[in-house]
Amino acid sequence: MSSYRCVFVMGVEQALEYRMSFFLSMLSAAFPIVIQTTMWNYLYRHSDAAAVFGYQQGEILLYTLLATIVSQLGGTGFEWEMNSDIKMGGLNKYLIRPVEYKGYQFFRFLGQKIPRLMVIGPVMTVIIGGAVWQGLPVSPGRVLVFLGSLILGAILNFSIFYCIGLLAFWLTDVDKLFGTISIVLTVVSGGVFPLDIFGGLVEILVNLAPFGYTTQFPVNIINGRFGWERMGVGFVFQTGWILVFVCLGEAMWRRGIRRYAAVGG
Amino acid sequence: MITVEHLRKEFTYYKKMTGIRGSLHNLFHREALTKEAVRDISFSVEKGEMIGFLGPNGAGKTTTLKMLSGILYPTGGRIEVDGFIPWERKDEFKRRISIVMGQKNQLWWDLPASDSFYLNKCIFGVDDGAYRDIVTELSEMLEVKELLNVQVRRLSLGERMKMEILAALIHRPDILFLDEPTIGLDILSQKKIREFLKICNEQWKTTVIITSHYMADIEALCDRTVIINQGQLVYDGKLGEVNQLLGKRKLLTVKTSATVETGQWEAYAPVREASDAGAVLEVPQEKVQEVLTAILSGLPVEDFTVTEIPIEESIAWFYRKEVVTP
Amino acid sequence: MTKIRRYCKLMGVFAKYSLMSALEYRINFVTGMTVEMGWMVIKLMYVAIIYKAGTNIGILTPDHILLFIGTYVLMTGIYMLYFGNFCSIPGMVQQGELDLYLVKPVSLQFLVTMRRLEFAYLLPNLAAGVFMIVTGWRLAGLPVSAASIAGFLFYLACGCLLTYSLFLVPYILGFWIISVGGISDISNALWDFNNMPSMIYGKWFRRVGTYILPIFVITNFPGLFLMGELSPFSCVWGAAAPVLFFVLVRIFWKISLKRYSSASS
Repeated sequence: MSSYRCVFVMGVEQALEYRMSFFLSMLSAAFPIVIQTTMWNYLYRHSDAAAVFGYQQGEILLYTLLATIVSQLGGTGFEWEMNSDIKMGGLNKYLIRPVEYKGYQFFRFLGQKIPRLMVIGPVMTVIIGGAVWQGLPVSPGRVLVFLGSLILGAILNFSIFYCIGLLAFWLTDVDKLFGTISIVLTVVSGGVFPLDIFGGLVEILVNLAPFGYTTQFPVNIINGRFGWERMGVGFVFQTGWILVFVCLGEAMWRRGIRRYAAVGG
Repeated sequence: MITVEHLRKEFTYYKKMTGIRGSLHNLFHREALTKEAVRDISFSVEKGEMIGFLGPNGAGKTTTLKMLSGILYPTGGRIEVDGFIPWERKDEFKRRISIVMGQKNQLWWDLPASDSFYLNKCIFGVDDGAYRDIVTELSEMLEVKELLNVQVRRLSLGERMKMEILAALIHRPDILFLDEPTIGLDILSQKKIREFLKICNEQWKTTVIITSHYMADIEALCDRTVIINQGQLVYDGKLGEVNQLLGKRKLLTVKTSATVETGQWEAYAPVREASDAGAVLEVPQEKVQEVLTAILSGLPVEDFTVTEIPIEESIAWFYRKEVVTP
Repeated sequence: MTKIRRYCKLMGVFAKYSLMSALEYRINFVTGMTVEMGWMVIKLMYVAIIYKAGTNIGILTPDHILLFIGTYVLMTGIYMLYFGNFCSIPGMVQQGELDLYLVKPVSLQFLVTMRRLEFAYLLPNLAAGVFMIVTGWRLAGLPVSAASIAGFLFYLACGCLLTYSLFLVPYILGFWIISVGGISDISNALWDFNNMPSMIYGKWFRRVGTYILPIFVITNFPGLFLMGELSPFSCVWGAAAPVLFFVLVRIFWKISLKRYSSASS
């Protein structure tokens, strides 16, 4: 366990090292929220938006605030490193050491989350506190469930991106593809707008697909849209998808590493 | 052509602390430190000279070269190159010089070298005719004519370096600065590049300043050597004469037919190394004959040779020492 | 005049070489395009929401808004064409890679900021942007005359120069500080404020964004000119601001360059 601990600490250190940059990056993450909030306020003031989109103004504002934060919190970046490990032969050092590669990436992923959490945690508390003060019915139980879904969401996101990173075993130029995937997944997981505002088929697809369970699901728990029954179904889907992606990752790793050894790294 | 007076350069860098506490500390406060890369160097170069800068890593060779080519501002002192002050970076000055750095490339990685040459032609505003002539001439001399249309990334390190040098000469500079041009190259490419630079210097009277830590480069090319150590000029003169500064000693290698005790050798002169089959002694030049006569009469000598102390050794001595006035 | 000709010629050579290099890696070129398309999905979602809500923003009908967002998409493409060069400035400064550019008898700023052009990023934005502009123009019934087209193109050109000048600043800071990640994140986030017409924002916010940090000038002025909504003063400001900020960024660049000391001694 101690080697994982060390990796974890290194992750924290690395993220801290970038001085002001770190704070400013956090601040810049707030800009899209400003834009979206402004837009929603405008639309709700000048049209019957609640009827059109199916969200009350408070719900959508809270969604906008929290969705960005949640997708920031779950955000990855290790897929690029996996690519270079696989391409440049950096994987060799994990194969000979008693550290499992997936474990290494997972604990580093968690380690890098800690500094983010130090900023995001208080912000999120303030936002939720403010919402409660504004009259949002948030019971302690709901907060607990929200935190649970958040952790599971991060794990799901890790599992998905771990599989995506493993694609590097088979595809040659994946760098930019990762960028595309990352953006598209942010969108389809509801990281920008809740996708169910578009209604109909889109809404059904979002509920079935895994991606919404990284972002849209946790947020809709805390903003009070989902009842207990709906949450239960959601958790079944969330854990189910985690299992699917963990198994997929294992299978991909086994096949990939065989290929890696055959080619000679 | 080039005058350098009391040249100085200082760099500021930041102390970095390690560990989590260090990272947190660095977040709010950094400690600035100053490093003197070049301190008080003066020399001058005539047109058409070929000069070698010699020195260990971090001695200040490259920094000096960068100040000569206008890349860095000096902290103090004066430089004049061909009537220009380099760091003013006048276009007219840039047209007269060129710099090649062994560890940096200007060629477009994914395109044939000829495309990068053409770009330089446009940048320097070289005429079409003059451009064609020089590319043909130089590529023949460097034996890379067939490689002009091969992507740079497919070239070997040696071929790439030849192309870098070619690219730097498209505008026929009066002065050529080379920073470790042969670093990492195979012996054959090193030799070819040296020959080329020699011809360059002789045919077009191009003034060449070259830094290297390969003695062979400097030995083959430069009449005059400037040795820099710890930011200071420690020697300026002919490379072959370096030894004379060190008290003109010679190496006497003696082979014997029977084993001679080390103690016995020491009676004649300081011993460098001794074995069952003989020894190497360090003898002052004027004493060589005397010592040799004594050994020949006293020991079972089979064979002997007298040689100069290798230049590398003398140079190494300079690297350890500070300033010497020739 | 010959100087301008020489720079145009160099620009042509850079464009040609960039395209040739890009085509060496066709898969990368295509995936690069998909990244831009991913981002575009987000921009288009704003359009979808506007049309779904069906409201005007100030005097702008959804069709006008389509034109404005189209302008924003097009400008994004043009900015992305040379954006990669901006990003590499801090790295070049730290690795001492400006050395070989410094000894060329051409403006260093020009060489450094224009030498690599990313057509993969330009093309999708160019196509979508032009399509949206033309569609919005037609649907909104805006005048189609030589004068209106010329005026629109003129303010587009002004916008390009202004983009270059404003958004180069954060990367020039790379001469002064180690990590510009945070500041560049902020500037990129600022760029996205143009995703919505400036009229959606409050009065003071709009003033700051027009006269102090004139990002709104970039994508709003061409459309406003077309609608005849640009006051004489704004007409002048729209042309003067780019020149002013270009001069300022030139000065800042020259001061910063003095600090340049290449990494190896």
